[in-house]
Amino acid sequence: MKRTFLATFAALSLLSGPGTARGTIDDALSFALEAAQGSVKEGFTVREEYWGGDLPSGQPKPIAHQLFKGNEYWFWMGTDCKGAKISVHVYDSAGKLAEDEFWQKGQKAAARIRPKRTGTYYLLVEIEKSPDERTVWSLAYGFR
Amino acid sequence: MNERILCALAGALTLTGTAASSGAPAKTIAVNQFPKEAQLVERVLVPVPSEVFAVLDKLGKPNWPDVLRPQKGLATPAGGKEQISLLLGVVIAEGFIAVEAENGEEVKNIGNSVRSLAKAIGVEKAVSRRANSIVEYAEKRRWAEVRKELDLALTDVRQAMMELNSESLAQLVSLGGWLRGTEALSTVVGKSFSKDGAELLHQPVLVEHFHVQLQSLPEKTRKEGVISKILSGLHSIRPLMGTEDGASISEKDVREIGKICAELVASVNAKTK
Repeated sequence: MKRTFLATFAALSLLSGPGTARGTIDDALSFALEAAQGSVKEGFTVREEYWGGDLPSGQPKPIAHQLFKGNEYWFWMGTDCKGAKISVHVYDSAGKLAEDEFWQKGQKAAARIRPKRTGTYYLLVEIEKSPDERTVWSLAYGFR
Repeated sequence: MNERILCALAGALTLTGTAASSGAPAKTIAVNQFPKEAQLVERVLVPVPSEVFAVLDKLGKPNWPDVLRPQKGLATPAGGKEQISLLLGVVIAEGFIAVEAENGEEVKNIGNSVRSLAKAIGVEKAVSRRANSIVEYAEKRRWAEVRKELDLALTDVRQAMMELNSESLAQLVSLGGWLRGTEALSTVVGKSFSKDGAELLHQPVLVEHFHVQLQSLPEKTRKEGVISKILSGLHSIRPLMGTEDGASISEKDVREIGKICAELVASVNAKTK
């Protein structure tokens, strides 16, 4: 990944909301990619592009994303904020929980889906708790 | 993302059922009832062509040589940066089709075309290594690696453009790839029609994303031939792709989507605007 792009993107993101957030999106991304390691061994291709930003605790944020029936997807979320607890879940276009599995382990979380339909899905990212007022997060995904 | 897409895509966003923060996820959400500060992340990640080809691989074995549109020599830059960016996306998408068709000569041609077009818009350095790898792997007929390098070439071009503060051009590369990919997908689905195959064309969030991106271009650019045609084409494609998930896309609509995309790709390929 291009360091300068990441740094610019992270800097812009950190300026995007009130409150304080430490760390950068590329630090958070490294946690997300750590979460992805097991799935990569199982044949998942990880996209080079990803989402990121900062959020206060308890305020989930949706991301609209196109998924294709026939593929299987993993979404991996990470933060470098020690003591934070994060989550990611996948909902269909009608707002119904659609994931097949999820897990969360402190600074990492993930959700897996085999979409039943091709179309728009919502990835709901949340900082469930954090010692910081705002916490930087990153979300990557892979498919097979 | 504008207000229209928020309303169109979303149901209502409150968390219902179990609260997400208690451990188990909420069973349902209502997206348009999120507080303003928690509205949709605006960045849309356009799927890489491999995502669509991965599904097509599972659906059967299409006759890819029939879908491939061989180039007559190197793709040469035509028009302004906008048209060249669109063409770069089209050429990369053609590369995926050439890989499926296992046409090594065409893949090598495409690798060299990618380099030539990238040079014309100042991002040659970012893709030079990828272009070399594409040619090298094509010579060895290592198709999985070629596919991966094409995905990465697309990503590298977009990132290089964003570093040059050309986010809009980066989006046009994605749009060019999407147009040729959608045309190819329509051809494949149309030749052996199935409901599952046709459903792959249901991509409202992407159509809306590209529409919003084009609308945000300066008025002068928007009114230029190729951009203006694409805006009009997206407007026509949107209802054909089905506005709601689960809506059936008919064989006739598949053909119409393919026809519109083919016309738009031809405009991108045209030597003059």
